[in-house]
Amino acid sequence: MITTSNLSKKYNDNLVLSIDNLNIPKGQSFGLVGNNGAGKTTYFSLLLDLIQPTTGHIKNNDISVHESEAWKPFTSAFIDESFLIGYLTAEEYFYFIGELRGQNKADVDALVSQFEDFFHGEILGQKKFLRDLSKGNQKKAGIVAALIGNPEVIILDEPFANLDPTTQIRLKQIVKDLAHKRGVTVLISSHDLMHITDVCERIVVLEKGMIVKDLETSEATLKELETHFAGTEIN
Amino acid sequence: MIKHFLSFEWKQFFRASYFQKGLAIKILLILASIYFGGIAIIMGGALFFLLRKAIPNVDPIVSINNFIIYWFLFEILIRYFMQQLPVMNIKPLMTIPIKRNTVIHYLLGKTTLSFFNFLSFLVFLPFSIVLLIEGYPVLNVFCWFTSVIFLTLSVNYLNFLVNKSNLVFYVIATLLITLIGLEYYGIFAISKPVGTAFNMLYEIPFLIVIPLFIAISLYYLNFKYIKKGFYLDDAISKKVKEVNATDLSWMNRFGSVAPFLKNDVKMIMRNARPKQVLMMSFFFLFYGLFFFTQEMYVEKMPYILAFAAIFITGGFLLSFGQLVPSWDSEYYKMLMSQNIPYRQYLESKWYLMVVAVIIAFILSTPYIYFGWDIYFMIAAGALFNIGLNTFITLFGGALNRVPIELNTKAKAFSNTNGFNPTQLLIALPKMILPILIFFIPYHFISFNAGLIALAASGALGIVFKNFFLNKIESIYQNGKYKTIAAFGEKN
Repeated sequence: MITTSNLSKKYNDNLVLSIDNLNIPKGQSFGLVGNNGAGKTTYFSLLLDLIQPTTGHIKNNDISVHESEAWKPFTSAFIDESFLIGYLTAEEYFYFIGELRGQNKADVDALVSQFEDFFHGEILGQKKFLRDLSKGNQKKAGIVAALIGNPEVIILDEPFANLDPTTQIRLKQIVKDLAHKRGVTVLISSHDLMHITDVCERIVVLEKGMIVKDLETSEATLKELETHFAGTEIN
Repeated sequence: MIKHFLSFEWKQFFRASYFQKGLAIKILLILASIYFGGIAIIMGGALFFLLRKAIPNVDPIVSINNFIIYWFLFEILIRYFMQQLPVMNIKPLMTIPIKRNTVIHYLLGKTTLSFFNFLSFLVFLPFSIVLLIEGYPVLNVFCWFTSVIFLTLSVNYLNFLVNKSNLVFYVIATLLITLIGLEYYGIFAISKPVGTAFNMLYEIPFLIVIPLFIAISLYYLNFKYIKKGFYLDDAISKKVKEVNATDLSWMNRFGSVAPFLKNDVKMIMRNARPKQVLMMSFFFLFYGLFFFTQEMYVEKMPYILAFAAIFITGGFLLSFGQLVPSWDSEYYKMLMSQNIPYRQYLESKWYLMVVAVIIAFILSTPYIYFGWDIYFMIAAGALFNIGLNTFITLFGGALNRVPIELNTKAKAFSNTNGFNPTQLLIALPKMILPILIFFIPYHFISFNAGLIALAASGALGIVFKNFFLNKIESIYQNGKYKTIAAFGEKN
């Protein structure tokens, strides 16, 4: 589904990302881990054509993302709060996104109603603007908005951060369902090794912009990751 | 501690990216302040002689005292709309050992350096110097001048309270409206006793204690007000208002641009900054009064009227339109990764501006009072606005990469938010072009020919709408990454 070749990003001679080759097949739940500055958000930003690659390209469903916009209808993302429109209520925001993705009110209502559990009664019917919600609740709204319109690729940057434990557990279930039952390609980054090994079939470790590990998730993965990160910390 | 605060301010100002980039902006800002400062000084210096000539039988100091109330009124109004209140990021300061009082004093002291306070200073200082040269008693002049400055500071602090507290706002607004109404209809002229009061301030120097007392009390009130709210859950963290859902589904008839239009309407209604712009554009409606009441323009220089006509219907277009992508700067990344053709986004902004011009045109109907010629001129100007100015404005927006904080009022002059030299260059054709288009046929053929030319140029622009939008779209596309990066920086 997503192929990355010879991709690099430099900011004034400072190489922040360099990926020679990375293939993410359709329906995979893909996890990206790495310390701060490893290039996780840079990779997602390149994937969403928010920044320009210095060399190489990413192809999303055979569409080179920085040359065509045709990937947009089947791709959605929640990177940070700047993906929310602060002066809308959660419902208004969902409907807006719905309209952009060709969904009518009823479609959006039907989708959103599946997540009432996830929202825990703190998102819908609040009569509050999104900018007035807490960080965690903003995140919930943003994540669900990224699910509107049956996207085939969903990109979530640090989805577990700022969420309360109950919501984290529910989110894990949602992500698993997306990949396994509906064949959606889900890309997630996280600092939480436990969560990401729980959710993702495959985990890639970035370090200073390079891929240093590419693991199929198994029983041993968590241990391996912990050793890896403990080791790099000491160095 | 104050030293630290000052260095924070300095860094905040100079390390902001828009500042580092724009040397031209710096120069322009300096030039602008020299220009306005210069005008104020010259006005202050000339005021004495102008007054002596205009009202020969009255001592100029008396005349100025009689009229000074209008100056303060003007100040109150302009400050309410333009002056930005001091904001400080106090969250990080709350947990470190700094006395609360120090922070508040600093915050209030900072407002003393506002451009608006200097305006008064720059006008009345030269005036007072001229008074001294003309041989007026030193003590009286000095105390009078100081009183005026104290009163300016009082207005400064009053504005703070008016902005912060609804109660004060309503009280002051009612008071002002009542007094102006009474004065206008000749029932009770408040300007008379105020004039007398200022004359007394001049004649009896020790009365200076009264303005001093007013300034100090207002400062104290502010101090108390801020101190009371010096907790995160109060004044600083904004109040959460209950939202009433707005049903804009009737706008769906606009088809594919409807979602954006609905969103823009909500954006304008729910945020401080665009509301301010909306308010300002309403005032533009009255711009024509300056010109249409002057025989000179109407009789001899009707091409100047084209200029006025552009402003009457184009207030919103000019002030909102020039900041087009910036309005969405807070969530621009999302828009760029969403399933949105740029074209629709731009088109919806175009429709918004067109609708605003049409509404302004309908509201300008009373100008028929000045004659049909004038009204047709406004109509032709409206067409020009719709057909050409919208595109010029959108084009200018493509070059504008300064993020806007939607829910913060614009600062005047100390504000570089959404200001850059390209904007100025782009603004010129918007105003000069219509004058030229009108002037040439008017000069060689007739008034009506000028009207027709102006209207026709607008109509032509509408015909070529798709062509223009395509061009503008490609410019926006080319600047996409730069715009995203610039909007990503928060002030």
